Amino acid sequence: MAARLMRAARPARTTWFAVTVQADPSELSGPSRPDALARLAERHEVRVIRAPGGRGSEIAVRAADGRTREEVRALKQLLETGEVLVVEGQPEGRRTALGGVARPMFRQLTRRGPR
Amino acid sequence: MRALCWTGVNEVSVEDVPEPRLLNRQDALVEVTASSVCGSDLHLLDGYVPAMLAGDVLGHEFVGEVVEVGPDVRERRVGERVTVCSIIGCGRCHYCRQGLWSLCDNTNPNPGFQEKLNGHASAGIFGYSHAMGGFAGSHAEYIRIPYADFNAFPVPENVPDAGAVFASDAVPTGWIGADLGQVGPGDVVAVWGCGGVGQMAALASLRMGAPAR
Repeated sequence: MAARLMRAARPARTTWFAVTVQADPSELSGPSRPDALARLAERHEVRVIRAPGGRGSEIAVRAADGRTREEVRALKQLLETGEVLVVEGQPEGRRTALGGVARPMFRQLTRRGPR
Repeated sequence: MRALCWTGVNEVSVEDVPEPRLLNRQDALVEVTASSVCGSDLHLLDGYVPAMLAGDVLGHEFVGEVVEVGPDVRERRVGERVTVCSIIGCGRCHYCRQGLWSLCDNTNPNPGFQEKLNGHASAGIFGYSHAMGGFAGSHAEYIRIPYADFNAFPVPENVPDAGAVFASDAVPTGWIGADLGQVGPGDVVAVWGCGGVGQMAALASLRMGAPAR
């Protein structure tokens, strides 16, 4: 599983990573678009279109690597809820040596993994 | 504080762990007054749910008192007694707006695992492995509630903790069973398995019009 996720985490130049966001396309284009979206557009080809069925907008990013996928998900969350959920710093019991290594690795893979 | 931690397959221990703190502006902290053991805790306990790590705090069905709220919490107040959804919704994505809380797009910070396995990630769930977000659970003295305005519901004064706690998980799970079964007036309903969820499915069927015998 880890190896498959690692392979899939490499960006393919021809594929797009897209999320549907509850926001009107007019909020996501032009000079008033969110900073995070403008930053993404500096590094990637970004396409914003109206989503079907009154579902807001589709933000699609071409050749998104793991870091970019994480940024796109965070942008969606920020636009829809006003914050990006944090899970680091919660209560936890004693971690084993393996768990201490496995948890950050798992988070890295599953946050940046493919859709 | 004390918390019940998963330490390995079929092993748990009560450990001293740090108290939770507000991590987001829409969080609340709840002092847990009742936390029940769900049937699905067994799947976590016995290792069937993947991505559990030793030290994870279990528990996802609970009632408690709000002791602290973040600056962007608008509805909940310190001192309120609340029951909290096991499944965490953001309340504002497409799925949450459709009432499909368990598909929330925004509350599982580790979506890649389930997306690879199932094609789509579920919402985050308290105390339910890192595949469901890695949120610390309620078998503890205190718990942090993300998006508190959407996930914590005040409990009326005349409802005791032991009655309200099931609204967290067993009631909606039983209700959806009866709902999917399209129970209506006059239907005779058989429920297989008479645990917490089964009893709630029976009660839901009565509310949907199945006659009591």
